[in-house]
Amino acid sequence: MHSAGKRPHTGVVLVALILINLHLAGCSRLTYRDQALREAQLPQHFEIEAVPFFPQEKYQCGPAALSMALGWSGLQIPPDVLTQEVFTPALKGSYQSALIGATRRHGRMAYPLSDRLNLFKEIVAGHPVIVLQNLGLSWYPIWHYALAIGFDLDRGNILLHSGTTPRKTTAISVFESTWRRSGYWGILVLPPNRLPATAELSEIIPAVVGLEKAGQWYAAIEGYKTVLSRWPNSLAAHIGMGNGWYAVGNLEAAESVLREASRRFPEEGTVYNNLAHVLFERGNIDAAEGAARRAVDMGGPLVDVYRQTLREIQAGRPSPKL
Amino acid sequence: MNGETPPMQNILKAARPVSFFLTAIIIVTAFFSQYVSAAMIGTEVVTRLDRTRGEEARRYVYSVLVREDVRAVLIKHGLDPDEARARVDSLTDSEVIRLADKIDQLPAGGDALGVILGVALIVFLVLLITDIMGYTDIFPFVKKAHR
Repeated sequence: MHSAGKRPHTGVVLVALILINLHLAGCSRLTYRDQALREAQLPQHFEIEAVPFFPQEKYQCGPAALSMALGWSGLQIPPDVLTQEVFTPALKGSYQSALIGATRRHGRMAYPLSDRLNLFKEIVAGHPVIVLQNLGLSWYPIWHYALAIGFDLDRGNILLHSGTTPRKTTAISVFESTWRRSGYWGILVLPPNRLPATAELSEIIPAVVGLEKAGQWYAAIEGYKTVLSRWPNSLAAHIGMGNGWYAVGNLEAAESVLREASRRFPEEGTVYNNLAHVLFERGNIDAAEGAARRAVDMGGPLVDVYRQTLREIQAGRPSPKL
Repeated sequence: MNGETPPMQNILKAARPVSFFLTAIIIVTAFFSQYVSAAMIGTEVVTRLDRTRGEEARRYVYSVLVREDVRAVLIKHGLDPDEARARVDSLTDSEVIRLADKIDQLPAGGDALGVILGVALIVFLVLLITDIMGYTDIFPFVKKAHR
């Protein structure tokens, strides 16, 4: 302390240098990234209309963000109801997996997003994005969920429904560094009849499988239908839709989906195996046996399962389970 | 002391039916876990198979890109084959599968690449690859890589 008055200039100069340095580093990166935004030909500003806002209770940013996203998707579920599903009291927060699980339990697809450009593209497509931010530092984290609903590139801002503030204006550069600390974690909460603007087949299939896992069969069927409208050659979506109809007991629909699949994928044993089970349960024993035989002929890594299907159909007692 | 069973033996006696029960459970579980059950194939299983196909397709496309004739055409058109490979790396599985399918559908006898390709065909092939990777924009049926 006694040296504080002695050499003030050195300190000031040092701080100034550091600030200039940070500023320069910040600027150069900003310019580079904004160029990526410019090249994406996004509108200068955009805001998603009609996203409901719920101010969060203490530590309840997870339930609040999810409630707003579900509200946008057409489900009115107040945050305090979601608290039981996602909030972990000991943590004073909500796990990401809990948010994803709750999304699925309410029949909505949770589609992962971890790319800044895609965030903006989704907003322009009218899809709000739940983002996880670390508002503190890596060694002193303050985790926070917010809902990104718009942006203004002229002013360099992003709009967030965040905490107790609706349409909170945050500089994109600040948002960028708080979001980066969560590894750019984000999810879209979408009704199953809606594809993300930046949808990838390899990501959307697991998102729909998640609906199956949550027992949301009708939502899953709808989800696979949506996937097939974009990727009519997705084997997983055909199989999934067949499994969905089978699970809800609509064997007729399951058969028609799998028959269509067998035309598209005449060499996929899985299709014939599943078709065999459905046909058998519909009492069409001969056709079932034929399908099972076809599956065995196709071989592949699951041929043991196909063989078992054939044996049990021949013995007249299949015990199908999902 | 005489007439009483020591405490340890009491415990053992009481534990006997429990251990029989546990043994039975273990045997039954072990039996069923080896037993392949006839089942509807779950969607997730198919997803894993899809991933395997993606890897196969990727290897296949790489094998096309290392062909001398293909490399020569790439270089002639100012495209770095290593960069092309890097671009293929960044394609998703489904895009690579689509790419491999397109290569397979090329009008050549048998396994398309087992035969010596005509120059025109190689150019078509290369342009197809660059189209899918987003360098060029020639064929309308190609869905472009997002970049």
